[in-house]
Amino acid sequence: MSDELFNREEFVAYFRDEAEELLQQIDADLLKLEECVNTGQTDPEMINSLFRALHTIKGSGGMLGFTDVQGLAHKLENLCDLLRKDRMPLSETVVDLLFHGRDLLTDYVESAVTGAPPPSGVAEYTSRLDQFVAIYEETSHVIEGRTGPELKFEDAAGGAENKQVSGAEVDAFEAEVARLLAEAETGQPVAAPQPAPEPAAPPPAAEAPAVEAPAQPEGAAAKPAAKGQDAQKRGSIHQTIRVDIERLDALLNLVGELVINRTRISDIANTLERLMNDRATAGDSTMGASHAIVAPLAKDLADSAALLARTTNEIQESIMKVRMVPIGQVFDRFPRLVRDVAKARGKEVQLLISGAETDLDKTIVDEVGEPLMHLLRNSVDHGIEPPDVRQQRGKGRAGTIRLNAYHEGNQIIIEVTDDGGGIDLDKVRARGIRQGLISSEDRLTDRELIELIFTPGFSTAEVISDVSGRGVGMDVVKKNITRLKGIFDVDSVSGQGTRFTIKLPLTLAIIQALLVRVVDELYAIPLDSVIESQRVEMPDVRTVHGHEVITLRGQVVPLVRIADFFELGGARDPEKVMIVIVGLQGRQVGLVVDSFEGEQEIVIKPLSDVVGRIPGISGATILGNGSISLIIDVHSLVSDAYVSGKAARAEFSGV
Amino acid sequence: MADAREQAQQLSGEVVQVVSFRLGGEEYGVDISQVQEIIRMVEITHVPRAPHFMEGVINLRGQLIPIIDLRTRFGMPRIDATKSTRIVVTEIGNKRVGIVVDSVSEVLNIPIENVEDAPEMVAGVGTEYIQGVGKMGERLIIMLDLTMVISSEEKQALETVEGATP
Repeated sequence: MSDELFNREEFVAYFRDEAEELLQQIDADLLKLEECVNTGQTDPEMINSLFRALHTIKGSGGMLGFTDVQGLAHKLENLCDLLRKDRMPLSETVVDLLFHGRDLLTDYVESAVTGAPPPSGVAEYTSRLDQFVAIYEETSHVIEGRTGPELKFEDAAGGAENKQVSGAEVDAFEAEVARLLAEAETGQPVAAPQPAPEPAAPPPAAEAPAVEAPAQPEGAAAKPAAKGQDAQKRGSIHQTIRVDIERLDALLNLVGELVINRTRISDIANTLERLMNDRATAGDSTMGASHAIVAPLAKDLADSAALLARTTNEIQESIMKVRMVPIGQVFDRFPRLVRDVAKARGKEVQLLISGAETDLDKTIVDEVGEPLMHLLRNSVDHGIEPPDVRQQRGKGRAGTIRLNAYHEGNQIIIEVTDDGGGIDLDKVRARGIRQGLISSEDRLTDRELIELIFTPGFSTAEVISDVSGRGVGMDVVKKNITRLKGIFDVDSVSGQGTRFTIKLPLTLAIIQALLVRVVDELYAIPLDSVIESQRVEMPDVRTVHGHEVITLRGQVVPLVRIADFFELGGARDPEKVMIVIVGLQGRQVGLVVDSFEGEQEIVIKPLSDVVGRIPGISGATILGNGSISLIIDVHSLVSDAYVSGKAARAEFSGV
Repeated sequence: MADAREQAQQLSGEVVQVVSFRLGGEEYGVDISQVQEIIRMVEITHVPRAPHFMEGVINLRGQLIPIIDLRTRFGMPRIDATKSTRIVVTEIGNKRVGIVVDSVSEVLNIPIENVEDAPEMVAGVGTEYIQGVGKMGERLIIMLDLTMVISSEEKQALETVEGATP
């Protein structure tokens, strides 16, 4: 990284983040605006918020020389300005124009930042926009050609016109910026931003209310708006800074080191204390005077080690918390998605979001977006019935999709529920037979039928749409969730709807693990998948088709010998096996280890970017003594065992 | 005298700076810009099912670093670590990789005109990562391009892992 005074790259990155956030907000505002078209009630604060967002993008874009961004943002801003000043009625056409413009703006931002080719169809769009705006702009010449701000403030004070006032606020803000800039340049306080250089008494007096006046109605307007609008809530004054996630990771790494050293110091303190006690009780005569000096030091060391331990734990927890972000960051883009898909498929859908403030680790937030997007598309496309069908079934024309997130213990649960037709199991069965996944004689439970939709390439959609039905979807969703150590579940009641449930760990960085020893190496097994651990005598281990199994409370559990799986060699105990039973979504496997070494909280470090993906291993951790322990990937072990053991199980239960 | 000559060459920019190390009876060199640090041998954690030349991973101040045994990589017999065994921690791209070598000798300034292309007969080893051979008096230093050593290893590793998965 260069130490240049003006680091353009950094500014561009900042611009991108900021623009992304603002475009998201614009999307949210537009969705509300669209509702306004239907209800006929306009919230001026919403249009103002839209205007401000566009204005900021225009400004930042211009500063970096992104003229395309600046130009388009300016045009859209103009459009909003007309709305704001009531020069133009709110209509579906306007909202569509804004939506379209917002999308083009997104592409422009992307193209400006990444150097990707600029979006196509802009010329057509702008000419359409210009034509549309031209009709209204003529009438607004008076406003454009205003003589001075005083006039407006009078308007504001007298007419209590909110829109007008906010316009003034923007102007006042710009004037304030200009003043501050001038101040910075000259080093002199610049009092009046107006072209009124004579330091006469009246202008500043006129200026004072000018700055204050807009603030009040503005605040008053914002208050009621803030009640129902979470966008508003998030936009409120939170003191935040942006930090590169890599810096946080580096910090976390260092804290990990600190934790290790803390453990070491505690060990030393304990050892020293024990030695002192032993010697004291043994009445060692050689100690004499030195004991008197060392004893208090040992006590001090023990005290400070304890304090260090506490502080370190707190630091670690705090950093973990810093990495937590509200899942709303992901949810924000869904209303627009649902609207677009619903529109394209001729459906009426209402998306209700709750729990957007639920926190979870940034890395998971980033990863969970795509699976959720698939689910929502799927719900709109397959779940919700067309309005007419719904009416026939005695439901409201508009379907409802609920997106809900909440914490449960150490997990976050995300649910996507629709009140559509549910999964048509007969269709799934027919499709499964047609695709050769099952045979017509197979007696499958409902659950097993539902599982079929997770098969790659499976789709029940009659018509392959551009939205879903291409057979990429459910299997990808499941794979992604599994990769995040999450659980993916589907409930469906025919005619009433479908619920997708995603359970994810709050963080991927720290987990509770059971340490086990296998041929001289320590391995960590994530505790959340451990059901129990036990010692089993060899005679109780039976084989089915050459696979070792045990029966646990009437259930046949296949065994996987870790030493064999990892090709470690090592001698087998002829009398007993130590088994860790792990379970995943109802499947259980017994992992055979040499010994159990206790539970510990471990910091996961990814291994795949270090040595590539290794089957059966999901990462590594550094233990208190500085040594490395590999973390066992229970998912892959269980599925591996079931691929080879399924036949065995079927045979066994058939006895 | 030699110092003066080296200095003069340094000034004219006509030298390559390499960290030289021994492997078997041969002396190798890697560009100093690719070397991050040199550490004593530490305990290496074995990673099961990793490619055979991958010795395992080490903990370097809280970071996991993969360790490659150059002996295995170059098809030389393995030997037990001795007091002079070192791990050369290299940074290529933004990836850190440690390589185990018999011993590290010194930093050499090799005049660029003394560096020749790899002789054809070395082709058997896989010359893609041998940049050339530097001559320092009687010494021959095989100059390695670590980027190639590691990237071709990765390719191989990937194939191995993919081949292993059913």
